[in-house]
This record gives sequence, C-alpha cells and structure tokens, in this order.
Amino acid sequence: MSEPILQIQELSKSFRKRVAVDHLSFSVQSGEVFGFLGPNGAGKSTTIRMILSLIKPEHGDINIFGKSVRSLRNKALHGVGALIEDADFYENITAQRNLEILARLQNISSKRIDEVLELVELSDRAQDKVKSYSHGMKQRLGIAQALLNEPKLLILDEPTTGLDPRGMKEIRELVRQLSGEGITIFLSSHLLHEVEQVCTSLAIINRGKLIKSGSLDELFYKTDLFTTEFHVSPLEKAKQVLSNQSQVEEVIVADSSLKVKAPTDQLGLLNRTLVENGVEVTAIIPRASLEDYFLSLTESGES
Amino acid sequence: MLFLRLTHNELIKIFSKWRSYIGFAALAILMPLIIWGISKGGSGMQQQVERQLSDSFFIVGSLVNGFLATHLVMNFLWIHIPFLVALVAGDVVAGEGGAGTFRIYLTRPISRTRILNTKLAATAIYTILLIIFFALMSLGLGRIWLGGGDLLIMHNGILLLPESAAWARFGLAFLFATGTMLVVAALTFMFSTMVNNGIGPIIGAMAIVIIGLAISNIPISIFEQIQPYLFTSYFDIWQQAFYDPIPWGEIGKGFLLLGIYLAGFLGVSYAIFLRKDITS
Repeated sequence: MSEPILQIQELSKSFRKRVAVDHLSFSVQSGEVFGFLGPNGAGKSTTIRMILSLIKPEHGDINIFGKSVRSLRNKALHGVGALIEDADFYENITAQRNLEILARLQNISSKRIDEVLELVELSDRAQDKVKSYSHGMKQRLGIAQALLNEPKLLILDEPTTGLDPRGMKEIRELVRQLSGEGITIFLSSHLLHEVEQVCTSLAIINRGKLIKSGSLDELFYKTDLFTTEFHVSPLEKAKQVLSNQSQVEEVIVADSSLKVKAPTDQLGLLNRTLVENGVEVTAIIPRASLEDYFLSLTESGES
Repeated sequence: MLFLRLTHNELIKIFSKWRSYIGFAALAILMPLIIWGISKGGSGMQQQVERQLSDSFFIVGSLVNGFLATHLVMNFLWIHIPFLVALVAGDVVAGEGGAGTFRIYLTRPISRTRILNTKLAATAIYTILLIIFFALMSLGLGRIWLGGGDLLIMHNGILLLPESAAWARFGLAFLFATGTMLVVAALTFMFSTMVNNGIGPIIGAMAIVIIGLAISNIPISIFEQIQPYLFTSYFDIWQQAFYDPIPWGEIGKGFLLLGIYLAGFLGVSYAIFLRKDITS
C-alpha cells in the first residue's frame, strides 16, 4: 500500500444554517487518479476549497504530504497544483504574463513557464491576451498554471466543464499522461464516464457526507450493476451454456449479444466454457455504468 | 525578495486595467484646461488682486503665476481626487474576488497576510503616483506655462512667499495631501476586502467621504463637537503647509488622528481578508 498523500479527517463546514460538508473523511494514496464524485450541491467544491485553504473548515483537518493545512498551510500546499472549476485569469494581460505572475509567487523559472505552455500546446498563443482565448484554451492554460510548480498532487475540479468532446478528450489524455509521470491526481467531476475512464479510486459524497470510497475495482466492478457483453454465435446455445454456470447470476439476450452478470475474474473461465461447447466468441466487452452505480448510491438514501 | 516580486505582480494587475488610467487621463485633460483658463483670465485676476492690495502693497511682477494657479487647483480638486483614488483601491481585492482569480492566486503556498501586504503596498504606490502626477500637472505645468514668482496666500491676512520658499511649501503640501489620500485609499481598501465587486467599495467609500466632508464643514454646534474626530476634517491639512509659521503641533495632531483611522481601516481589512472564505 502506498503512502496517503492526502488525508481528510472529520471535515465539516456550514454556510449559515446549511451544512455543506459533514464530518467527511477519506484518503488519497500516492500515485492514484482519485475521482471525487457527488451530485450538484453535494459539497465537492467546498471540500476542494477547504483542501486548498480557500475556505476555512469549522471542524476537522486536512493533511497533505503529512502536513496539516490548518497549521502548516504553506508547507502542505507546496507540492500541490490546482484548477478549480473555470480557469479565470487576468484577462487584460497575456497568457505568458499571467503565468509569470503566478511563477513569481514561488520563484519558478521562465523555462518552466515555456515547458507548461508547450505541454498544453499554447506556446504559439502565449503572447495573446487571455481575453482573446476560447473556453477550451483557458482550461488548458488553467492546467498549465496548475503544473507550474511541478506538483506531486494535482487537484482538478470539473476541469472539462464547458469543453467540447475534443477538449474533454485532450484533458483526459493529459490526466493519463500526468498520472503516468507519477503525479497523484484528485479529480472532481460530474461526468461519470470521464471518471470511469481515468480514475483508479473514488469517493462519492452526497449532502456533504461520504457514501463510499475505495478503489474503483472494489467499489464498482463487484457490484451487481456490472455486466459483461458477450458477442457470440449461436446466441441461444450460448445463453443455455452460460445459464448453467454457477458463477453467472443472470443472462439477458440483448439484440445480437448477451448481457451477463458475473464476477470479472470469472470471465476467462466463461470464455473457455463457451468455446469448449462449440460457441464462437467474437468479443467480450465489460459494460458497466458508473452512472447507474452513482445513482443507486445517491438516490438510495444511503446518505 | 518575495515582497517586491509580489508587489510587482499587484502593480501589473492594477495597470492592466483601463480604470487605473482614468485618474491620470482626467488630470492630464483637466489641468492644462484649468491652467489655460487661468492664463487667459490672469490679467483680470491680477488687477483684482492689485486693487485689493494697493493700499498696503506695492506690487511688482505677476502674482498670477504657476504657484498661485497650483494653489487654486489644489483648493478646487481635493474633493475630487479621493474618487480617483477609490476607483482603483476599491478594485484591488474585490476585483479579484469577482473575477475568480483568487482561485488561482490564493491557492499558492504564500500566506494571505503577505498577499494583502503587497496589495496594500501597490495601492499606496498607485495613490502616490497619482499625487505625483497631480503635482507635475499642476505645479510643473503651471510653472512652465504661467512662470514663477511669489506665492500669494490669504490666511489670517496676506502672506507672500518667495519662489524659493514656495517650492518647499508645495512639497510639504503634496506630502500632507498624500497622507490624507492614503487614508481614503485605506478606507476603500477595507470595503474592497468585504465584497466581490469593485463598484461597491467605491460607492461605500465615497458615501462616507461625502457625508464626512459635509459634517466637517457645516457650522452647526452638534457637528462642530465631532468635527475634530472625523478624518474628513483633515482633508485640507495640506493648506497648513502654507501658513507662517507652519503649525507643526496642529499638523502632528491631525496626522495622529489620520494615523489612527488608517490603522483602524487596515486592521479591519486584515481581519476580514484573513478569515474570508473564497467562494466565488
């Protein structure tokens, strides 16, 4: 087990009488891509702002790299980069100048500014004023500013909001690339398929409380919402074979394929059984919907 | 040095906004206009002064010169300059809150105290630059356009200051004026830490300045009792630089009170900003 890079302990915050975050606790391990999910108003942004000390918690503590944000704020945030919701910059100055302003806060070299602009493919527009940027370009610049200090923990709050499919894909690929470089990523998003594609662990909150947290595999692939699509021929024979297997909970014929509810670690065995029974298997596609899982948790009253 | 680097940041932010040039543009337009007006009506003004003083003085040379013009301009404009100061000071903190840039600026490993220190320093620098520009456009331009000479001051009689003394007195007057404008800047800055739009602090600060000036100048006994305790009562403290002798004791008391107001406004600013939740 790797070291926890971020630990949230009994965190609470209210705005007047409304409880935004209620005794929330979870941890993020080093190297993870951690998805932070919850419906609108669940307390995700408040939690992230407390992590980054934009909002002061009423109760509880946050430790980053083992240092308390309450008592050692600057040390705790030293290796953290963040993009919170829309990337808002100083509009009347150039992207380069914006990054210089932020770089001056941590004495970061101009070489690093060039590197991050290159990474987000904005080098050729670096001398343009930010007010001339599209939303997608601003989000990319937002990622660039978050990477300026070569963070070990990157916090992204709804980084793909308002982006077109291409922009979303670019951000997703960037997240994978950064994760591959060893950066721990804390990703808050309401786009569940996005989280599903890039995250290794997640926490789901609702009404400020933690509902579930753990690895995606533990939480999700072992639920009864996980199904596997088998493209087989002949269909009826395959259904009969699979229905007789004790590991298989349910087999449904859907169009020209079968939807099979079975543990993921049994898929190889099921494939072999089908082939041995003369069934031609052309594809086995895990079909799981994090959306279904998310809705089942947030609407079931577990909160 | 971190403080200088961060102050540099704040100055870039201030001067990247067009509103920061309004004060300079207004003075650049207004000053030549006023000085041109004085130059055109100068001979009439000279005759009027000569008529009033001919019984007691034998006047040689022009009394309507750059110094007198600057003194007149300072009298006209000290009510308006606070607005130009507030225009920028009101936006320094609130503007960032409204624009959402605190989300990238305050998440860095730099304390809010340090950031507020540099915002305050940049606001003070802006205020000082505006006063310097005012001085250049009034005293500098006036001296070039209308020439030099003795400065005529009417206060408890008539005082004629020679040109050599006038420079020093104007230096003091602008210094004192800078002090009062820094209090206005601090007041606006305080309001700026309370809200997330740059207009509210300007309106709030100007409302207080206008009400304060009214109370400071209305000769009603109940107001007269509180006048010594209002910072607006010291807006004209710069005029004391031209008295003879200079009333240092009175000026000191005035600045002590202005200092208390300044410390109070800044204390409230820090208390609010350090506890403020950034939700925008």
